[in-house]
Amino acid sequence: MAHRKKNRNVGVIGVGQTKHSSHREDVNQAEMIHEAVREALDDAGLKMDDIDCLVHGNMELFEMIHQPDLWHALGTGAYGKNTFRLTTGGTTGATLFCAGDNLVASGMYDVTMVIGFEKLQEGHTTGGITNMADPLWTRSIQTGALTGTCAYDLIQEFGEERANQVAMMYRIIMDQHAGLNPKAHRAFGLEWDQMDHLIKTSARLVGELKIIDMCSQSDGACAVIMATEEKAKELSDNPVWIRDHITVHREESFTMLGYDQATVPPLTHKVAAEALFKRNGISKPADYFDVFEMYDPSSWWGVDWLRAFFLLEGDEHLKLVEEKEIAIGGKIPVNPSGGVIASNPIGATALVRPAEACLQVRGDAGPHQIPTPVNHALASGFGGTMWTVLIMLEKELGW
Amino acid sequence: MSEKFGVKVEDIFNTMEERFRPEGAEGVDASFGYDISGRGRWKLTVKDGSMKIEQTDDLGGCAAVIQADADTFVGVNIGKVDGTAAFTSGKLSVDGDVGAFGTTAKLFKRFTPPKKELTVGEYVLDMFGTLEARFQTGAAEGLDITIGYDIGGEEGGQWTARIKDGKCTVTEELVPSPSLTMIMKAKDWVELMLGKVDAVNLLTTGRAKVEGDMNLATKLGELFAKYTAPGEEEEEEQELLVLKKIISVNQKFATGPVMGKYLNGLKEKKILANKCRECGRMQVPPREVCALCRIRCDEFVEVGPKGNVRLLDTAYYASPDPLTGETRETPYGLIYILLDGCSGQEVFAHFLRDDQLDRIEMGWNEKKGTIVRPVWAEERTGKVADIKYFEIDE
Amino acid sequence: MGNRVAICAMAQVKNEPNVWYQRFQGMLLDCLEPILQQTGVTYDTDKGIRNIVTCSDDVFDARTISDNGMTDVVGAHFRGEEKTAQDGLNGLGYAMACILSGHDDVVLFMGHCKESQTESRNMSTNLAYDPFFCRPVGMDFLNVNAFQARAYMEKAGVTDEHLAEVVVRSRENAAMNPFARESGKVTKEDVLNSPFLADPIRELHAYPVTDWAVGMLLCCEERVKEFTDNPVWITGFGNCMDRYFVGDRDLTSNFSLKKACEKAYGMAGIKDPKSDVDVIELSDAYAHQLPMLAEGIGLAGEGQGGKWIESGGPAKANVNLSGGMLNGNPIMLGGVARAVEGYIQLRGEAGDRQVDGAKRALAHGTTGGACQHQTVLILEK
Repeated sequence: MAHRKKNRNVGVIGVGQTKHSSHREDVNQAEMIHEAVREALDDAGLKMDDIDCLVHGNMELFEMIHQPDLWHALGTGAYGKNTFRLTTGGTTGATLFCAGDNLVASGMYDVTMVIGFEKLQEGHTTGGITNMADPLWTRSIQTGALTGTCAYDLIQEFGEERANQVAMMYRIIMDQHAGLNPKAHRAFGLEWDQMDHLIKTSARLVGELKIIDMCSQSDGACAVIMATEEKAKELSDNPVWIRDHITVHREESFTMLGYDQATVPPLTHKVAAEALFKRNGISKPADYFDVFEMYDPSSWWGVDWLRAFFLLEGDEHLKLVEEKEIAIGGKIPVNPSGGVIASNPIGATALVRPAEACLQVRGDAGPHQIPTPVNHALASGFGGTMWTVLIMLEKELGW
Repeated sequence: MSEKFGVKVEDIFNTMEERFRPEGAEGVDASFGYDISGRGRWKLTVKDGSMKIEQTDDLGGCAAVIQADADTFVGVNIGKVDGTAAFTSGKLSVDGDVGAFGTTAKLFKRFTPPKKELTVGEYVLDMFGTLEARFQTGAAEGLDITIGYDIGGEEGGQWTARIKDGKCTVTEELVPSPSLTMIMKAKDWVELMLGKVDAVNLLTTGRAKVEGDMNLATKLGELFAKYTAPGEEEEEEQELLVLKKIISVNQKFATGPVMGKYLNGLKEKKILANKCRECGRMQVPPREVCALCRIRCDEFVEVGPKGNVRLLDTAYYASPDPLTGETRETPYGLIYILLDGCSGQEVFAHFLRDDQLDRIEMGWNEKKGTIVRPVWAEERTGKVADIKYFEIDE
Repeated sequence: MGNRVAICAMAQVKNEPNVWYQRFQGMLLDCLEPILQQTGVTYDTDKGIRNIVTCSDDVFDARTISDNGMTDVVGAHFRGEEKTAQDGLNGLGYAMACILSGHDDVVLFMGHCKESQTESRNMSTNLAYDPFFCRPVGMDFLNVNAFQARAYMEKAGVTDEHLAEVVVRSRENAAMNPFARESGKVTKEDVLNSPFLADPIRELHAYPVTDWAVGMLLCCEERVKEFTDNPVWITGFGNCMDRYFVGDRDLTSNFSLKKACEKAYGMAGIKDPKSDVDVIELSDAYAHQLPMLAEGIGLAGEGQGGKWIESGGPAKANVNLSGGMLNGNPIMLGGVARAVEGYIQLRGEAGDRQVDGAKRALAHGTTGGACQHQTVLILEK
């Protein structure tokens, strides 16, 4: 049978995050996680006793902790609870969010808290990511998550000048958003008049991928509490409803390069967006959604993926950036939080996306709240070898 | 002068010789330029474990030239500005070899601004000058009080701190009948604030007097944060430790029959792909299945060894090899090659010969890229490094 | 919409000490192919497998995001894949939730673990402890289980002789299980004379290094007939986390197991496991855990583990007829191996070790040192 509606509605009733930072030597892992857990409980007005089930996730080899949920029980509040642990790379946080939805919708648990974290400073991030490659082949060749291929493709398609301009505009918009988010790790205060200078002088990492384009490496944690419809209405004045979600992975090999336009397979983001929007009857996602929290590991990918997620054609995605429609106050604000380029505790990053989207729906995002009402929000996760998780959130039930 | 940090740009350069660490200069043989906007240019030359710094407009022959404004440059040197953030945001830029410039980080001990011993009078001024800033709003909820300070002696003076509505205002006068007045000599006040003598001792020996609400006196510690002398903020005892550890658990990875056949092929200078019997797709290196058709792949085909470059990724960032821990020289080239016998997306990733980075043309659609060939290791044992790298076929 | 989830098919490779001749990819593929064949299930986005729940662990795979390496061999190219990284029984519980939520109607579960790949299992599990205190004092799953063994043996009157009996029986049962690790039969004297690994745990009291992979196809109640005539139903699930520091808990209290049982029994409507469950599989990674866990699930009286063994309790209640974890299953998959035995028994395919008329089975799994996290799954015919 085709995909159908879930058996029970699930609402997000609490959100917590640490301040994301390049180093949190002042706390250990469990203590750092505890900050997010406490904030989520306070946000929901709940106590640990109210939580039935916990879901924990990150990537073991970044910090070199095997089964870290065992130690982290000191900070998660897991003692005496049903607990799960899921991990899917960069998508981990989004997978946790989907898992929380599944566990509550199943009727097995009424109130579930999902927790994503990473303390990247405690390991070597690029080395850790490189370790994901096959030990017998690409591991000695890969350079972490760094690749200039996306920049190359955009330059080939739209010309060097325009592609560079758009990528840097995207970058500056994200930096300005981050400047409004007190939890963001990095906000440099970039100005529009710095654009040409940055394009010319920012140090290159791989190909045209510059240091200013790339996401940060952060320490941080995020926790989200979800409940059944009945409980959510009882416990919260403003639950945010999880409408639907989809996960699309792909094979490990890099057979998806843009050099041969006739043979490039579809981007997972597009496959996910098409399937998710089709089954929910949405034909123009850029019009339908009021905000999009996207997992954007670099400004190049951020620009490129707008086309895939919003099912746009030609240079429509470039125009969204050039006309600043993705900025707070624009037609479809993208990452009012500042996104992943600003803050990236990897195991939490993809959970921060729906968490931030929920705050936007509630109108509780603070200085980076977008000024117009948010009724429909979209959040994405990215990880592995170009994997996608896409999540739809709604202010009202009855879609 | 960087007004922001009270340190001159010249001070940084003038102290370089005394801060120089010969052990950090091992193997460095290069010149580095410093272009500090509006303040001048300097050239640093390092060779054979010694150094020379000169102010000059001629920065020719430098491996890298750093450009920054005075505040950023001074801030980075005294540890007040994060160098990586300054570099990432473009406030500090490097023209030339970024990798080479990285070596300068090890050349010098950190610059510490010379510490000046304050006089009693200077201390008193600084202590009252920072009183408002040290006020703790949280502890003052509901308070509406005045605290008088009658500090005697030539270097003393009179001050009043007015606390109301969670705010603290300090004036240089003694208002009539404050809630609490503290009376002592300037020297004793300074010693008390620096923690060299305690309050009970001063009171019992009669060197200090307190008039008014005594209960309030015991609350002062909560109302104001502890005073720290200028320049000493960072020298406080650090309680937090960071445990450094390299973790390594040896592994033995099985190759399995598919990867095994492929790696064995390399020993004989053969590159083997496997072919999906349903869709015909070739995979190099071979995988157990065709992900598209979800069927086992067992037909092997020799491909290459030559091919054309579809894509070159030039890596400028030195990423460590997780299998050896060694960091590669940058820049280096990672190429995606369409080996002879493969088509479409069936590319093979490997390294390019170091000195051929700028001679590669990438293919696009029907247009072929530069033709390359593998350079085989003399001794081949069935591993990735059996091919050292690819080079232009000429 | 029913509230039961069916296991429609299962396939496994044999448990072996060292699968040096295959990558884990090959092992998984050997499990996937028979499942597709047995059930005719496809990856059609409407009617087939849209989501795959996997189970493995980045430390034992020695790979960051080890699901990268298995996307293709579990068929997850352009499909969903979610990796559970604790004892695989929790993965089955999660797969169950995916189906009961209505989000998925068919879920493929795939698990693998190659303990032989790491040079030292203890060095790997030492990494499960915090780097500040527990790691430097040398804690790993073996040492911490030795604390538990000593405390439990004192509490429940369990002797070295009792443990020898447990090991001998495990190996005898395993000899009747064609997919069990060929660990070989032993005598009581062999066990009593085997060297100490961590007093009181002897070499033969500890589960041996094992490689294994397994797969299962799960589906919702309405669609089960499309895939099998002989389904096994998952009707109960529960798990629970105990405290982290060994000194913060009573290692013999079965706290997390009792809580997990409460939840699972409640779901499945089990009142008394002694009469209501026909086949019991416990993850006895160490011999002393068999009687201890039997107490935890309500099979033996509190502190009566020694007497329970003497009175032939394990055989009477059909406990660990597969040979148990003690005979050899890899960490991460101990609980799944228990569920596999339950599945085989309930389908009546257990050959020489078949329990006649088996209707209900209990599978238990554990994660962490001294059973910090425990899981219980109930299967029914």
